[in-house]
Amino acid sequence: MSKLAPIMRLSGISKNFGATHALKDVDFSCRPGSIHAILGENGAGKSTLIKIMSGVLKPTSGNLYIDGREASLQSPTQAASKGVVCIFQELSLVPDLSVAENIFLDSPPKKWGMIDRKKQRVAAQALLARIKCEDIDPSELVKDLSLSRRQMVEIAKALGKKPKVLILDEATSALSSQDVETIYDLLEDLKCEGVSSLFISHKMQEVDRLCDTLSVFRNGQHIETFAKGERSDEEIVKLMIGRSVDAQYPDKRPLIKRETQLSISDLKWGGELQGVTLKLGKGEILGLGGLDGQGQKELLLALFGVLRGVEGKVEIDGRAMTMRSPASAKTSPTNFALVPEDRKTEGLMLEMSIADNLMIASLASISNGPFVSSTKERDAVAKGIKKLQIKVGSAKHPVSTLSGGNQQKVVIAKWLQTNPNIVLLNDPTRGIDVGTKQEIYKLIHELAEQGKSVLLYSTDYAELIGCCDRVAIMYEGKISAELEGDEVSEAAILSAALNIGDVLEDEKRETFNA
Amino acid sequence: MNNITTLFSSEDKPILIASGFIVVILLIGTAYTLATQGTMPLLTANYLMLQLQSGAFLGIAAAGIMVVILLGHIDLSIPWTMTAAAMMATTVGSELAIPTGIAVGLAVGVINGLGVGYLRVPSMIFTLGLDSAMRGLMVAHTGGYAPADQATPLMRYLASGDFLGIPMSLCVWTAVSVIIFLILRKTTFGKSIYATGNKEAAAYLSGIRTRRVILGAFVVSGVCAALAGVLLAGYSAKAYQGMGNPFLLPAIAAVVLGGTHILGGKGRYVGTLVGVILIVLLNSVLSIMQMPEAGRQIIYGTVIICMLLVYGRGQKISS
Repeated sequence: MSKLAPIMRLSGISKNFGATHALKDVDFSCRPGSIHAILGENGAGKSTLIKIMSGVLKPTSGNLYIDGREASLQSPTQAASKGVVCIFQELSLVPDLSVAENIFLDSPPKKWGMIDRKKQRVAAQALLARIKCEDIDPSELVKDLSLSRRQMVEIAKALGKKPKVLILDEATSALSSQDVETIYDLLEDLKCEGVSSLFISHKMQEVDRLCDTLSVFRNGQHIETFAKGERSDEEIVKLMIGRSVDAQYPDKRPLIKRETQLSISDLKWGGELQGVTLKLGKGEILGLGGLDGQGQKELLLALFGVLRGVEGKVEIDGRAMTMRSPASAKTSPTNFALVPEDRKTEGLMLEMSIADNLMIASLASISNGPFVSSTKERDAVAKGIKKLQIKVGSAKHPVSTLSGGNQQKVVIAKWLQTNPNIVLLNDPTRGIDVGTKQEIYKLIHELAEQGKSVLLYSTDYAELIGCCDRVAIMYEGKISAELEGDEVSEAAILSAALNIGDVLEDEKRETFNA
Repeated sequence: MNNITTLFSSEDKPILIASGFIVVILLIGTAYTLATQGTMPLLTANYLMLQLQSGAFLGIAAAGIMVVILLGHIDLSIPWTMTAAAMMATTVGSELAIPTGIAVGLAVGVINGLGVGYLRVPSMIFTLGLDSAMRGLMVAHTGGYAPADQATPLMRYLASGDFLGIPMSLCVWTAVSVIIFLILRKTTFGKSIYATGNKEAAAYLSGIRTRRVILGAFVVSGVCAALAGVLLAGYSAKAYQGMGNPFLLPAIAAVVLGGTHILGGKGRYVGTLVGVILIVLLNSVLSIMQMPEAGRQIIYGTVIICMLLVYGRGQKISS
């Protein structure tokens, strides 16, 4: 297989942004019929690499070859015409257009010079069917779809361009486990058709399962490329961060009986929450799992006072509470904090400084009357940055200059400034490098040790198993199972998520037979 | 290196360009007067002071609308807020004149704020509608004629009197500027304005009461417009129909030329000050050069568009 000539080859590529070297003299090639993983921490240069390959950025120096011929890519459209298609981490869909219109946005099928809507819809349907998304109506507007469905549309859009090189940047991080399986199958198919897929992921299991070749990047340099199986997971992680790491998750905490801090009973909202009943102990880390879109997000938003018309009872320390808005939810006596799903649009004001973002939720604590005290502000900002070890040049720089992991730390630090009692986390480690993930897990444990209660929604089962004391699984707007201690396993979570009791039983039988 | 980049951040660039343009305007005007009359009246303190005095009305209105633009909204009710405040002030008269005018601005601001912040009507439509409604109310109130009531002595003093040689209108503008500057820079309200303008969803989820912030910003804008209207009535000794009309475009242009992002979230008050001075001087120099009205309008509009093009391109390259 590796004897085939590379479809795309990069030679001596460098890219500078001002004084920072995002890529340094990178040689890289990808071959037809392979699934090639690109690994590295955030800031290692992966995103810059794929942006250069897909024509979004132009390299400062170096050459790029497609099918052996030198190519200079001026735009993503040009790259796509040469068969290089990228599915970006930041979704690139137009919310107010329909699914079909989005899929064929740059080259819609035409008839008499006008867009042939019927043909467009049929073709979109065929592409969606290929990724088993028959449930998506091509004439539905993209803004009405959930984040994971949008990601699938994004994938259909890329397929519509008939790629020879398909680049997936964290494309599975927003997907439910079912869809991830579909993508795996799709990539296998494409591999047989001779497509070269480049796969960027922070999930080692995915990479192990799917990819045949792995390349590791660190600090803008291409460290090593090797076939799967040549290196152990520990070795790979070591290559990625340049040092060895200890166990990924902090030690399990002993199960103890805790007094209830937050008690939710029969919480209902629209079709999404259909009577959620749940108890969260003081200082407990409760995981929230299940397939994507089973009401987990809505549960967190309801608790945080974002949703209107929520029915049911929420008690904190035995007293009934109503949260009318985030402003009331974050203050005494409820003291909630919410790290939202999408840090770029919901968590941060990207153009504003790191300092402003850190303090925006706790302005009252650094003010005298209506005036913000600059000394108090400076102290609080320094404390927040130090506590979470956020890597910043200056707190006055825009938060958009930070890497994804550090941005997420700013969101978390912002909420720690309010000294919350109950911390709601919506997938806080999505799209974040291994090193930062570990720091966030450690932090969650520290918070719990300080007596804060944590409700953690995660799409990553390993995270729920590794990080939480107890896991509640949601299915169709209800809690379908609560697992604790040894019951928390991938099989148990999965069966509860799919709302089937058999998987667990089957597994038990198998172990029994063996 | 680091100091230089923070010194000339993207927010400073438009302010520097606009300041440079002020110098260019003064030089061109001076070259013209030197060539035609052999004098340099443009560079005298007297002339500059006069410009600042007449620029005060625009400056005060621009200060208010800047706060709304920082939210990514717009206040198109400025013209008739000015006119209505001036007319009600002269109608009521006596020492209640100025408070009455300000109260009109406050009421307009509250209505705009409720409509935009709470009812979520797009500000462009809501404020335009309110502007039209006020025009109707004022025509009904005056019968369509210029009201006969005169501005009170205090209004006249604030608009055209002076204190220790400094024009009072300039003093009022300075006071308004200090207040707006402090609000934007030093208060929680100011920080909330920038946050809401930048990304309203993130600000809301950070527990900022964004609807109140929007309401507050429109109140600031309404009050500033009303104050500008009351002063303008004092300057012309009375209120008249459509007196606020020539102020809307220059006020918005001043804010945007000063580097405030028209979609909100970014901008410094100093920029708006520079923008106001730029527009006032541009107008004045064009009239000194005896440019006919038609030519003045063309040049005026072209300059605004060209400067915005320069800013826009600069931002694209830096990002």
